[in-house]
Amino acid sequence: MVTMSTDSSTTIEPMSLADIAKEHGDAGVTNREAVFQVNDLAVSYSGNVAIRDVSLDVFENAITAFIGPSGCGKSTLIRCFNRMNDLVPGAKIAGQVLYHGKDLYADDVDPVEVRRRIGMVFQKPNPFPKSIYDNIAFGPRVLGLKDDMDGRVERALQQAALWDEVKDRLKESALGLSGGQQQRLCIARCLAVEPDVILMDEPASALDPISTTRIEDLMHELKREYTIVIVTHNMQQAARVADMTAFFSVEVSPDGKRTGIIVEYDRTAKIFTTPADKRTEDYVTGRFG
Amino acid sequence: MRISFQEELDALESSLRVEGELVLRSLRGSVEAVCAQDLELADEVIAFDDDVDSQYFAIEQGIELLLARQTPVASDLRLVLALLKDNLHLERMGDLCVTIAKLTKLTKGLQPDDALLEGFKEMGERAEQMIRVALRSLEQRDRVAAESLLELDELIDRANRRVVNRLLDLGHDLEVREWGLRMILVSRCLERIGDHAVDIGEQTAYLVTGEFREFTDASH
Repeated sequence: MVTMSTDSSTTIEPMSLADIAKEHGDAGVTNREAVFQVNDLAVSYSGNVAIRDVSLDVFENAITAFIGPSGCGKSTLIRCFNRMNDLVPGAKIAGQVLYHGKDLYADDVDPVEVRRRIGMVFQKPNPFPKSIYDNIAFGPRVLGLKDDMDGRVERALQQAALWDEVKDRLKESALGLSGGQQQRLCIARCLAVEPDVILMDEPASALDPISTTRIEDLMHELKREYTIVIVTHNMQQAARVADMTAFFSVEVSPDGKRTGIIVEYDRTAKIFTTPADKRTEDYVTGRFG
Repeated sequence: MRISFQEELDALESSLRVEGELVLRSLRGSVEAVCAQDLELADEVIAFDDDVDSQYFAIEQGIELLLARQTPVASDLRLVLALLKDNLHLERMGDLCVTIAKLTKLTKGLQPDDALLEGFKEMGERAEQMIRVALRSLEQRDRVAAESLLELDELIDRANRRVVNRLLDLGHDLEVREWGLRMILVSRCLERIGDHAVDIGEQTAYLVTGEFREFTDASH
């Protein structure tokens, strides 16, 4: 005789509508601590202002997306969060970026330490031409974190949802992995040094839809422990993954100079249902140009 | 600019207007049939509902396709959601007209009460006006006009109560009572058509403001 199973261990607790509303509602992420506080930021390259007048807070354990057309300064802004612009000759920063309340650009701040705590994943997966294992172990070794390296590597690969696929070939070259796997490897490499924030600049734009979905699922998992900022051209990706969305646009001066500005920053649910600014509405609904 | 997307949205909206016109014809036919005891016209109203239904299905499929292919957001999303619900409200109005037509056939040969029939004429006109206001408020994104439907609904509700009171006064004659029972349902159908018009108005308000809200707490 067949009986209905009542074994609770097999039951997956469904997400309730109240949970969903809470996650996307007013009482969501904006009550959390601000990991970054950007005040009147402007960035210029050799005198050309790339982006100006940016003020926004990035909230803890949330995914914040930056969207906008090319040249709106969204990549420039995300690079301010781990001082990547320091490496660009002629780059100049005005205004303030506070990280947990501390000025990220103060004289006593070590940019290398900043980049350990605030990791970055780029558009094109860029693994080192080394083994999978060494790619992950590289960062910890540089930082002198030597004990339990195997455990560290495994944890990072587990967190990046790559462990099961590579655990039997850790000594093989990372370049033999697929594009999607390489990108998750880069995320694992970023996680291995135990950062606080992960910056992602178009992390899925070079990947197929299946790999993209895996990265997006991964972001969803990772935000429990990390704060994530993502730059994306894919508006639906922002709509799918982000808690907060900032829309940037380009202002063209009479002499033809193009400068990025922030137009609207709000909960993602608001940006994609009832944006306050006409320019945001035009962009997200595809009525631009 | 997504030209084909905008064209599809426009096509959906104009299809809904066409559906509205069909429902108005159905409403006028059903009220005329019940007031004139015109059984032939009642049959026509019943058959005509197929036209309303096929318009309803065409819009439903258009919305399904648009959601699947275009992923509308912001005001486009609100418009599509409003159209989805307005479509159902119009189709329900069409069904209520069919019910009136069927009740007309069921009361064949029974003696009508002229005062009541006058009441139906009034309710029919009010319902027609409400449908027009609802459709126009959508077309013009006019929240004030949409909210005015609440007052119009109050008038049709009052007319409905007058019909009920009149029926209670009709006396104990069995035939009159049977006719009266059927006519209470006719009155109720017309009153419900008004409610659906109010619901369309609520969708317009949502489309304009982005806020989900019922115009009134009480279920109309």
